[in-house]
Amino acid sequence: MPGDGETHDIRPGIDSDLAAITGRLRRITVQVHGSRAGAGSGVIWISSGLIVTNAHVARGRAGVVLPGGRALEARMLAWDPEHDLAALAIDADGLSAADVGDSDSLRVGDLVVAVGNPLGLTGAVTAGVIHAIGPRRSAGPSLIQADLRLAPGNSGGPLADARGRVIGINAMIAGRLALAVPSNEVARFLGRVRRGAAAVP
Amino acid sequence: MNALLSLSNDLAGAVERVRGAVVAVNARPRLPSTGVHWRPGIIVTADHTVRSDEDITIIGVDGRTVAASLVGRDPGTDLAVLRVHDTDLPVAELGDPASLKVGHIVLALGHGPRASWGVVSALGGRWRTWRGGEIDQLMRLDLTLYPGFSGGPLVDVQGRVVGINTSGLSRQLELAIPVSTVARVADELIDTGHVSRGFLGVGLQPARLPEAFRRRLAVASEIGLIVVNVQPDGPAAKAGLQLGDVLVTLDGAPVAATEDVQAVVGARRVGSTVTATILRAGAPAEMSITVGERPPRRR
Repeated sequence: MPGDGETHDIRPGIDSDLAAITGRLRRITVQVHGSRAGAGSGVIWISSGLIVTNAHVARGRAGVVLPGGRALEARMLAWDPEHDLAALAIDADGLSAADVGDSDSLRVGDLVVAVGNPLGLTGAVTAGVIHAIGPRRSAGPSLIQADLRLAPGNSGGPLADARGRVIGINAMIAGRLALAVPSNEVARFLGRVRRGAAAVP
Repeated sequence: MNALLSLSNDLAGAVERVRGAVVAVNARPRLPSTGVHWRPGIIVTADHTVRSDEDITIIGVDGRTVAASLVGRDPGTDLAVLRVHDTDLPVAELGDPASLKVGHIVLALGHGPRASWGVVSALGGRWRTWRGGEIDQLMRLDLTLYPGFSGGPLVDVQGRVVGINTSGLSRQLELAIPVSTVARVADELIDTGHVSRGFLGVGLQPARLPEAFRRRLAVASEIGLIVVNVQPDGPAAKAGLQLGDVLVTLDGAPVAATEDVQAVVGARRVGSTVTATILRAGAPAEMSITVGERPPRRR
């Protein structure tokens, strides 16, 4: 019943799905303050405080602001400018962490959702579709291309599929295209971090 | 998460269904455009992307490059038809444009395939392009037509082609040519090699109309079109139009720009008559001009 504090969705539809996914993504998206002016974004990859962001966002010292507003100093675990990835550790536990998807299973036309902190907004969402699969001449070999609006500050934030699973880390804007580092690339990067094979600046 | 996931699956499924009929068209330097396998052996694309009449190739989704020949082109509607032999690519499934509504989610596809999504932003009636072609329905899109997308299909969520996208008919707007227009133009190009369009055979330039003349004839427009060139033996010459005459109205409609003339004449059947009001040596006159056929464009 309306007014009793419970919301019953009489038409469980696209808008409520999108709102639910956005809510979940916002809980795993942090602000990352690098040495440069302006905040970027980051993704809580593991609930015990592992944050993944772009190498170009977390240059030098990095501070992290959690979704609730708590600000923490971050320790740089690994920094990989070649793949534009960085892994940060924060002293926190029990955080909501990303549900990670398989970026190799994406198809052209699949819906994708980005959450980030573009131009100072916090937790802004944009929606689009996968633009193309495969290498793109002008943008390196292995980035996800999405027909999706990004702005500076989205960098390092999650790109998620229609289930809300993170399938990429938004990294670049090329014209009107969004380019993201695939989640499978992130998994390989974190594998190198675990083996101690990743560079620490 | 059912609704969003099923929309995502529908969109990816639509791309999957139509991708076999989407080809790259190599008919200009550097940037291939997109074409749609319309009927067996017939590729439709955007005319403005076909810069050369020869040495045209298409690349199918199988990656094979196949030679194509130009069947004909209609700059008016920005459509060109190519013929390919030796292709087993699937043919596009066409949708019913009447079922398309403002707000419907649509995809634009480029060769590759590449996709962009958006909504049908506005639908309008019959309209005339700046190049004089007649298009059955205005289809304005809220989506991005990326470089190389012109000539590619506009696809509904079921994967049916409802139009051909082009950036060649408007600088500002993303537009699609509805399949009914594509079918009509493609048939005419296949049958005759060109689309016949009304033609007067005059060169015109805007000229200010004398105040006294405007008052006498109660003409609303301040501008007429002065005849600066008359094609010998052309339709206007046969009707007696002379250099220095000022064209004021055509079939009662004021003409202040050459586009106004194209709008009236381009739509008229070859052999029909238009009535012109002119100003000659300061005096108004009327004449009937039998519309001729525009000669094919030389490149």
